[in-house]
Amino acid sequence: MSTTIQPLFRSPWVQGIKDAIPLLGGYIPVAISFGLISMQSGFSVLETILISTFIYAGASQFLFVAMVASGAPLWLVVVMTLLINARHVVYGPNIAPYLDKDSRWVLLMHGLTDQIFALAHARLPQLPSEARIGWYTGAAVLAWFSWIGGTALGAIAGGELTQRWPMINDILPFALPALFLVLIIPRCNNPLWALTIAASAIGALTLKVLGFPNIAIPAAAICGAVVFYALKNQRIATGY
Amino acid sequence: MNTSLWIALVCITLGTYFIRVLPYLWMKQKLAKSQNNGAISNMPTWLTVLGPTMIAAMFGTSLVPAHPDTLSWVATAVGTLTTFLVWTRTRSMGWPILIGVMVFGVITLWFLRKTTRQI
Repeated sequence: MSTTIQPLFRSPWVQGIKDAIPLLGGYIPVAISFGLISMQSGFSVLETILISTFIYAGASQFLFVAMVASGAPLWLVVVMTLLINARHVVYGPNIAPYLDKDSRWVLLMHGLTDQIFALAHARLPQLPSEARIGWYTGAAVLAWFSWIGGTALGAIAGGELTQRWPMINDILPFALPALFLVLIIPRCNNPLWALTIAASAIGALTLKVLGFPNIAIPAAAICGAVVFYALKNQRIATGY
Repeated sequence: MNTSLWIALVCITLGTYFIRVLPYLWMKQKLAKSQNNGAISNMPTWLTVLGPTMIAAMFGTSLVPAHPDTLSWVATAVGTLTTFLVWTRTRSMGWPILIGVMVFGVITLWFLRKTTRQI
């Protein structure tokens, strides 16, 4: 994929939905698991669906129901869930240069999850500026509805579903690493960026395997940025 | 849920939304200001580096299988390699993901069937 602007052959909304379809492979199984775990933690179907509708951030939702179920103080629940979501602070500024002055963007930021950011960061620069809000709305709304729908499914029939079709949990989630790979690989077009991307990816994988899933993404991203600046400074110092 | 739990939910909802929207508004204002001053509207370099490294980190964490046994790692490695090879040919999004998931699924099911037969 390139960063040159490409003409759209269908409506921006439809293109956004089409581009976001691979996300469903990752969203729906995780949402079903969340629905199931939330019910087991003592929340009702309606409460479970409302948590997914309003918080709309996977890891922090799991932490929220787990901490509430374990009887943790509520102020600590709020602080910990917001800390997990703190990585989202870099997403808005990164896509801001591609967004026009339309005030609807302020509301649409509710849908700026990890995956929608990754998709938007790669696709928005390729779209004509007038098509971007339609494209983003299509992609973000599909992802949001699939998250809410998956949660409802998990809350109502999660146990039976995962027993009858184990592939929901075993196979479909591979769509996420495949999506991230095709989004990030065009960036590896020179040794500096290839090493930076590799350092971030390997760092995150290692941290998650070692049992630190919640800090893996921000810590590995910072580690990748350190590698970027170290290599860049070295290049400047050696004159290359 | 009792009232205090609802209040906690509202705080997390608003907090998460503000974490997403306020930095966007800050950058928008910064870009508009530099445009008004006739300067070239540039983002801080560290932010342009953190965007791609965040996506790379998401890729890294998503590679770890839910049940990290040898089968899952092998299926993940072959699925990732397939996705990459298809991408080098098509330079698109849809086909590499679809074929990558299919190869990952075939390996997973093949291993599962083999293991079930042995049992």
